[in-house]
Amino acid sequence: MMWSWIPSNAGLIRQYTLDNAYLGIVPALLGLVISVPLGIACVRWRWLYPPVLSATSILYALPSLALFIVLIPYTGLTDTTVIIPLTLFSLCILLPNVVDGLRSVPGPVRQAATAMGFGPLRRLVQVELPIAVPLVIAGLRIAVVSSISLASVGQLMGIYSLGYFFIDGYQRDFPTEIVVGLVLIIALALVCDVLLVGARRLLTPWQPRRARRGNRRVLRGRAVLEVPEVAA
Amino acid sequence: MATYPIRFLANGCVSLGRPGRWAATLTWQRGAGNVPGQYGLDSKSRPRILAGGAPEGHVLITFEGVTKRYPDGTVAVDHLDLEIPVGQTMVLVGPSGCGKTTSLRMINRMIDPTSGRILLDGQDIQQSDPPDLRRGIGYVIQQSGLFPHRTIEANIATVPLLIGWGKARARTRARELMELVGLEPQMASRYPYQLSGGQQQRVGVARALAADPPVLLMDEPFSAVDPIVRASLQDELIKLQSELHKTIVLVTHDVEEAIKVGDQVAIFRPGGKIAQVDTPERLLGSPADDYVENFLGFDRGIRRLSFLAASGLNLTDSAVVSAGTPAAQAAQAARRAGESWLLVVDADRKPLGWAAVDELESSPVEAKAGGAQLMAYGHTFDVSSDSLRAALDATVLSPAGQAAGVDDLGRVVGVTSYDRLRTAILAADARSAQADVTEAAAES
Repeated sequence: MMWSWIPSNAGLIRQYTLDNAYLGIVPALLGLVISVPLGIACVRWRWLYPPVLSATSILYALPSLALFIVLIPYTGLTDTTVIIPLTLFSLCILLPNVVDGLRSVPGPVRQAATAMGFGPLRRLVQVELPIAVPLVIAGLRIAVVSSISLASVGQLMGIYSLGYFFIDGYQRDFPTEIVVGLVLIIALALVCDVLLVGARRLLTPWQPRRARRGNRRVLRGRAVLEVPEVAA
Repeated sequence: MATYPIRFLANGCVSLGRPGRWAATLTWQRGAGNVPGQYGLDSKSRPRILAGGAPEGHVLITFEGVTKRYPDGTVAVDHLDLEIPVGQTMVLVGPSGCGKTTSLRMINRMIDPTSGRILLDGQDIQQSDPPDLRRGIGYVIQQSGLFPHRTIEANIATVPLLIGWGKARARTRARELMELVGLEPQMASRYPYQLSGGQQQRVGVARALAADPPVLLMDEPFSAVDPIVRASLQDELIKLQSELHKTIVLVTHDVEEAIKVGDQVAIFRPGGKIAQVDTPERLLGSPADDYVENFLGFDRGIRRLSFLAASGLNLTDSAVVSAGTPAAQAAQAARRAGESWLLVVDADRKPLGWAAVDELESSPVEAKAGGAQLMAYGHTFDVSSDSLRAALDATVLSPAGQAAGVDDLGRVVGVTSYDRLRTAILAADARSAQADVTEAAAES
């Protein structure tokens, strides 16, 4: 390791880290924007889901590099060339989670909403989507992390990201650069993941947390307290 | 809105039918309810006085030849005719697949009938907009169906907010209901997962009552909680209903629950037909056929006694003796009256225990009745509020084969015997037979 390389290239490191974050986060968010309505449609019309799922699975099987190359004639050497394939991959990851999330709404909850006079749209927005949030965010975590890592492949096309340090370091036989690129990609993925976990906690205070063991004991205590009330 | 049978009054209350006619029925009623004890007189004895001006016996929900046939040919409900009177609890009970839940869900149009029609206060519900209709009908689902992502308070405030009450008002109302169903105020900000099953079901009931709907549909509301909690929830429902006088349609597969909470019980047969609709007392007393009799279970004769008041018993005083009476004198009197056991009471006529007459006879001359060896008197029954079932139970459990009837201060009024119980039951039977005859005459 040549530690002095790091401060002398701080500007470059910072730039490529931001580029990589952009190339990782934007496709995941675009994937989310597409997968939510698509997932809703797949839940609404059950027959739609198997063909759509097969199609996205096939897309996911395509090597990212091949997709980049296919797109170059249309989108050139721009960020779009990386963002489109990564959006498709994110979509493949997110769609099953959106569908499972919407299906995770318990039958009695859905029926209760209907019985209380929620129309289909209101029920979707106020009941089904909020309940799907934990599963959707779980999918988003995987999508963001994998997009951040796959974005570096775009470097082969000359689209800048932390992948630059792998290629440059390899070509110059300079391991420090490779290690820095690797560590930063992992760090970037971890930071995004932690942010998403935080977002989920904020958005879903209603979820039982496994860590809060004490809470369960309190619940048990309360169940015991109910007994005198029954006797009375 | 004018065509819908349910409308929302300016003050946010939900009204059925023509405004003003009996909108007063729907105002919130609070008052002392009486919770029947285990063998207390059942809910059926409560006065049928409605809170407002709704005429007693007015039919609120009518099924007219309602059939539900699914595309695969299954008939869930078969030509159902049923009238549900206002302010009463109608229980639909039957084995699974008998169409009881389907019938319930047709009332708020969660399921639409294949043929026939359902009238809500005289108006065909097919004419109404489903979400509008449903906002005026409370619904309690099995396993509570609470919104897991909303706090208890927000869950309860759901319908008030849907029909446009302000946040502050909906919140106040939610707090009011939490108190009504016996939930601690600090639970308002909790989430459903933090509550026990019984508490969740209370929230479910509160949520259904939030906009004060005149009709409450309950789909196996207590099936997911343990038997002890279930019994207390049933008692509280009976108490609530004695204050609120909603028109409740409750579905259950538990015939005990049906008998306990229903003013009227409709027993369904497999295939979506009704076998019998009647009051619990009359179902137990005269089941229409073998199916109903089997469905009610083997001890219906005993269970029917819950509906007969213990005040009909002719109690005897000749087996009661005060503790200060000389033993020999008490024994002599008992022999004359043909009693073999004496209930010894204190100066306040509170029971002390049973003394065997044989023993009193053989006791020393100066002994008092209270000094004899007394057998525990077991439990007593309240003559004014308990049922014949309570009296029978006390009698069976008493070592003397007789039980003490007490007044509301616990003072002995007299004691039972099997003969006296039998006389009271026969008299009650004769009265209800007479009532049937009178009713039949009135109808024809």
